[in-house]
Amino acid sequence: MMGDALLEITALSRQFGGLRAVDDVTAEIRQGELVGLIGPNGAGKTTLFNLISGFTPPSSGTVVFRDRTLNGMKPHQVSRLGMARTFQNLRIFPNMTVFDNVSVGAVGALGYGLRHGFFGGRTRAEEISARAWAALERVGLDGVAGELAANLSYGKRKYLEIARALATDPVLLILDEPAAGLNDTETADLARFIKGLHAEGSTILLVEHDMGLVMSICERVMVLASGAKIADAAPDAVQADPAVLEAYLGIEDDDEEVA
Amino acid sequence: MVASASKPLSALRWLGLAALLFGGIPALLGLIGGGYPFQVGITALIFVTLAVSLNLVTGTAGLLSLGHAGFFGIGAYAAALASTKLGWPFLLTLPLAAAVAAAVGVLVALPTMRLISIYFAVATLGIGEMIHVTLLNWVSFTRGPMGVRGIPPIEIGGFTLDGVVGGYYTAAAVAAIGIFAVHRLTHSYYGNALRSLREDDQCAAAMGLNPVRLKIEAFGVACAIAGAAGAVYAHTASFISPDSFRFEESILILAMIVVGGLGSLPGAVLGAVLLIVLPEVLRGFGDFRMIAVGMFMFLSILFMPKGLLGEASAIALFRRQLGSAWRGDIQAGWK
Repeated sequence: MMGDALLEITALSRQFGGLRAVDDVTAEIRQGELVGLIGPNGAGKTTLFNLISGFTPPSSGTVVFRDRTLNGMKPHQVSRLGMARTFQNLRIFPNMTVFDNVSVGAVGALGYGLRHGFFGGRTRAEEISARAWAALERVGLDGVAGELAANLSYGKRKYLEIARALATDPVLLILDEPAAGLNDTETADLARFIKGLHAEGSTILLVEHDMGLVMSICERVMVLASGAKIADAAPDAVQADPAVLEAYLGIEDDDEEVA
Repeated sequence: MVASASKPLSALRWLGLAALLFGGIPALLGLIGGGYPFQVGITALIFVTLAVSLNLVTGTAGLLSLGHAGFFGIGAYAAALASTKLGWPFLLTLPLAAAVAAAVGVLVALPTMRLISIYFAVATLGIGEMIHVTLLNWVSFTRGPMGVRGIPPIEIGGFTLDGVVGGYYTAAAVAAIGIFAVHRLTHSYYGNALRSLREDDQCAAAMGLNPVRLKIEAFGVACAIAGAAGAVYAHTASFISPDSFRFEESILILAMIVVGGLGSLPGAVLGAVLLIVLPEVLRGFGDFRMIAVGMFMFLSILFMPKGLLGEASAIALFRRQLGSAWRGDIQAGWK
């Protein structure tokens, strides 16, 4: 499954006043991987995510995606290179239909400008429509395509957000805490869904607070604590890593009697 | 399906609307008798054009603009000055008015497009005032408070449309073009892109849309249409002064689209017609009529906060369900 490095993060840092939210992080994601990024609250996961997707400029360091340096790029430029994201706090377009929500992803990736609107870009419109339908079918929301997004249940909105990201036909899909607010059954369904996407060849970075989900489906897990990467290995190895246990549970090395 | 996303107006419905605009309504105005009903018709159509253009920016793209009358004024002055000083005919002053208003609109929009919500509203308020004060004080060019008089009537292909009936047809034609242009944009994936900005522009950017570019485009198109409405106003009124392009007019246009339903094209048309025609119908009540109009606006917003024809209901009403994206009982997508 693993191929060339798709995303290379080198010595990436971001300072907010006196706080180093992301501190000298170096990491890479290869084609076809399903990677988890975990860390306790305030570890800098979302900041790292925003640095990668162009929402926050880095203080230092570089992000290279598909051999292009992203420093200074705007979010829409990063998105057009093939990186799609979802948002931690569920950001759908509530007053638009489910279909229209998803179509925006296809419009962003394929382009549909003023010229198309005025003079009728029929071929382009059909491409957009086909992509939006495919994404809706993939997440199983094609039956409610005409419904206002605001009327969907919380769980379905999560899938709507994923469908909108899929409609951009991403090379790298970044999911920001997709399991937040879901119950155990829903989380298990989501885990199956993400594994399915991965099996179809998608490269996925899963940013999660919930250890269980990440440990159960990811091939590799990166751990962030206080802005720094403290582990980057297979789930089993990460779970046994004393530094990770300390970061999560506050256990100090010398108190540890298991070994 | 509550608000099924699907096809825009069919050719048949366009024909029906055109027949109403160019046949039914003028016939009705003629029945009432005299030039006055046509004069009200012209004013209503000019404000329909303005409301429809503002609706693209405020209703669809979600940018609250409080200076729209300023761009209306720029169009009116461009047409008035080009026709009185250079002798240009209406067919040239109309595109000129649209182009000048769009150019000024894009120029002043560039630095303000990164502002959000209330800040953008305040910036456009300032822009509208700047335009008004410029028209008022640049006496050597605009003749200041004296206004521009003797603007020639509309002349197309040797025919002079100087009566109110000719003015009505011209205003109707420009309104129809404005409605058609905005309809094409909003009832397409371009419209979806603009709506996504209104809903969450950061999120739209994450989907690959360039919010700044889209906002400037929408603003430029809206200003061009407002400028064209200004040209119609200048040539049908034959006299213009800065007093017609103040903050009050901007607010009136905004009230029209809010009453009609933000984001709804038929709503903008309905709102403009109601707020122009209602005071005329109630003329018998003297000064009390403005209280009645105020009450109407107050009550309509109180009981129908989404407007008389809110976006969702208007979409359900007007979108037709045909084409490639049609599947079973679910209608979605644009051609």
